[in-house]
Amino acid sequence: MMSLGPAMFYVFAAILVFFALSVIMSPNPVHSALYLVLTMISLAGVYFHLNAQFIAGVQLIVYAGAVMVLFVMVIMLFDIKQELRAFTKGLISGALKVASAAFVAGYLIGTFKDVSVGSQSASLAGNTDITKELALMLYSKYVLAFEVLGLLLLVVAVGAVAVSRVKGGTHAKH
Amino acid sequence: MGSDIFEVSVNFLKMIVIFLMMVQLVPLLVWVERRGSAFIQNRLGPNRVGPLGLMQLLADAVKFLTKEEFVPAKGYRFLFYTAPVIALIPAALAFGAIPLSAPIRVEAFEWLGRNWGPYTFAFQSYEIGIGIVFVLGASSLAAYALLLAGYGSNNKYSLFGALRASAQTISYELALGLSLVGVLLLFNSFQFSEIVAQQAGPMSFQFLGKQVTVPFLPNWGFFYQPLGAVLLFTAFFAESNRLPFDLPEAEGELVAGYHTEYGGFKMNMFYIGEYGHMMVASALMTTFYFGGYTIYPWLTQESVSSWFSQFTPTQASLLTALVLHLVFMAKVLLFLWIFVWVRWTLPRFRYDQLMDLGWKTMLPWALGNTIVTAIVILIMRTNWSGQ
Repeated sequence: MMSLGPAMFYVFAAILVFFALSVIMSPNPVHSALYLVLTMISLAGVYFHLNAQFIAGVQLIVYAGAVMVLFVMVIMLFDIKQELRAFTKGLISGALKVASAAFVAGYLIGTFKDVSVGSQSASLAGNTDITKELALMLYSKYVLAFEVLGLLLLVVAVGAVAVSRVKGGTHAKH
Repeated sequence: MGSDIFEVSVNFLKMIVIFLMMVQLVPLLVWVERRGSAFIQNRLGPNRVGPLGLMQLLADAVKFLTKEEFVPAKGYRFLFYTAPVIALIPAALAFGAIPLSAPIRVEAFEWLGRNWGPYTFAFQSYEIGIGIVFVLGASSLAAYALLLAGYGSNNKYSLFGALRASAQTISYELALGLSLVGVLLLFNSFQFSEIVAQQAGPMSFQFLGKQVTVPFLPNWGFFYQPLGAVLLFTAFFAESNRLPFDLPEAEGELVAGYHTEYGGFKMNMFYIGEYGHMMVASALMTTFYFGGYTIYPWLTQESVSSWFSQFTPTQASLLTALVLHLVFMAKVLLFLWIFVWVRWTLPRFRYDQLMDLGWKTMLPWALGNTIVTAIVILIMRTNWSGQ
């Protein structure tokens, strides 16, 4: 095998950063959502080159294939020009934007200060798939957190069904 | 990729050839679809151009290429042009990851004054360790083609079609993924080649910890997971937007749904995407439930390679792979014919019936199938006699 892994990781990371920036810099919300889809796909590429092949596949199925389809669909359905104008004007939203920019900058500086190069290259060098280790960890060490998250999702799903049945729609209670 | 220039170039060539193979199958499928529909509806179908109407395909290709090209005046030009391309990519990516035959072993040889080491070429565009997870992930991206087409056309019917399509795709993806879990538990692997290898022999399973072999039946997934197979095939009908699940392009209500504004070659690319999805679906059905490229006891890798014992090992391996590829394609074509058959037999669902089928029927059955399979496998593989 040619060892393209580490190089491809940085290529995908660069693409990822570019699309992530495009998400917040694009003026059209539909375009933003579509850039977010591309961000998710390139994130799957990054995972793949970190040997987390299963997570890469699940990233494609769940985030790129299902969650973002819903986002894009909802944004296409609603005409959100008014909300957009309301958000881009005004003092409070301006203050919010400055605050979030400061937060992100602080976060970035903190990350760059803490990063150590040696530990990173070790995880890139291995060439084994970690799917089995991931499954063992999920069902032994982190089983409680995993089950609680599953329960939370179930509660959310049941709640969504209950809310949607209250009024209107083809499956409403009469 | 490969260790030297020979391996790399063969792998690149393989990618191109398999992609072209998939694209070239589409006109033939269109012909089968038109002749098949005519046969089912007691008509004749296209039978004037060339023998059996086969030249109709060439005439259609010329028509697609020379049609007027236009973009709706208030549409989004870039998205409108992107959508047909995206329709093609997921199906092509997914199809490339499925092995179409046994791997070819090339022994060491000398050429151009150099020694070229022994190689093993998988009969697929690229091998990915997670196999099925990648295929599902790639083919789930197909929803964007419909969304972009609907939004880019800036047309009410198109947008409605796109919305229906995306809702339908998301709903059936769950049932699709879950119906596969049973067979994955059974064969204990994500990798296609391993799953096919396990189905090559006679039916053999553990019954309460004891090994049982049924010599006259192949070890196919269908015999263990009939419910999973039926659910998977149904979910694939919904994923490829074909009748009885073709609500996104329901002619009576939406003109032609998301591709109302498309014509010529762009329209053709949507067709290639749809047929590509059918091919991926048929290939997955074959691989998971019907023994992949082997038919025990007549056509397995061992028995076919024994036909070619007078050739050199490399030639024998190549010929074996070709024969097994024909076996695989025969099975795939059978499923593709079922797609055509169902399309011209069943009427379209109503929208609430479609959602009920997805969420209230297929999802619970697929979940139940997963749980029951897991419990049964646990009971059967435990050694109860305590030895």
